[in-house]
Amino acid sequence: MIARRLALALLIVAPCALARAESAMAPLLKPLDLAGYPTRTTPPHFSGSTIDARRLAIDDLRGKVVLVNFWASWCAECRPEMPVFERLHRELAPKGLAVVGVNAREERAAIHRYATELGLTFPLVLDHDGKINAAYGVVGLPTTFVVARDGRVVALAVGPREWAGASARALFHALLAEPSPDR
Amino acid sequence: MGIQILAVSANTTFSQQTFAESLKLPYPLLSDFPDRKVIRAYGILNDRTMTANRTFFLIDPRGTIRKRWIVENPTTTVVYSDTLLRDIRAIIEKP
Repeated sequence: MIARRLALALLIVAPCALARAESAMAPLLKPLDLAGYPTRTTPPHFSGSTIDARRLAIDDLRGKVVLVNFWASWCAECRPEMPVFERLHRELAPKGLAVVGVNAREERAAIHRYATELGLTFPLVLDHDGKINAAYGVVGLPTTFVVARDGRVVALAVGPREWAGASARALFHALLAEPSPDR
Repeated sequence: MGIQILAVSANTTFSQQTFAESLKLPYPLLSDFPDRKVIRAYGILNDRTMTANRTFFLIDPRGTIRKRWIVENPTTTVVYSDTLLRDIRAIIEKP
């Protein structure tokens, strides 16, 4: 994977710095150790089939706060997060939070078994060929993105986080309080 | 050693940011997507995959390419930093 992605490395003898715009959300990201994004960054479009054979496109979720979690059933660190995402889905979906799980290259039957075992009802998107994972640059699981109502991506978490804790809730509530672009 | 590492790939900046964060990379990743101008200019574009063939270039302060390492079988080859560093050191120390 690394070999494919870091296809070319240049070694030069000159200092270089990449400027990164500071996010206004920074104080809310820090307690969760979330990486921020430059202003107006939008996540790659994806459209996929869910385990219950519905189509889900991230663009259709514009107007909602979206939590996109990349996971797999074999990922030990993913497992404790799933019931937490389910709780957030049940509690905050009426307020405008959409939780979406994107699986990594597993078959529908395996995902279905896992979802049944853990009682997951939020949408789980299949990614047999790994194209969605690749578009998002996911190389480790779990990896989670948080997208605001206006479609800008706000945060990235590589590895598990305390998504049910006070810091995460403060982030979600701040994002849910933002006006929807459709209003 | 006074060397700056820059990594270039045909991935989007969004994808690269996730990748860099995942591996905690301490050097910049540069996106050559969608035009792949740099990758073409360096002559290492794989026309089938539209990605770069995995290659390292060593460029000196005057902008001269001093050495090129082409990685054969890039999906299975491990590039050992010790070997690379030894080679780089030998080149840099040459007058």
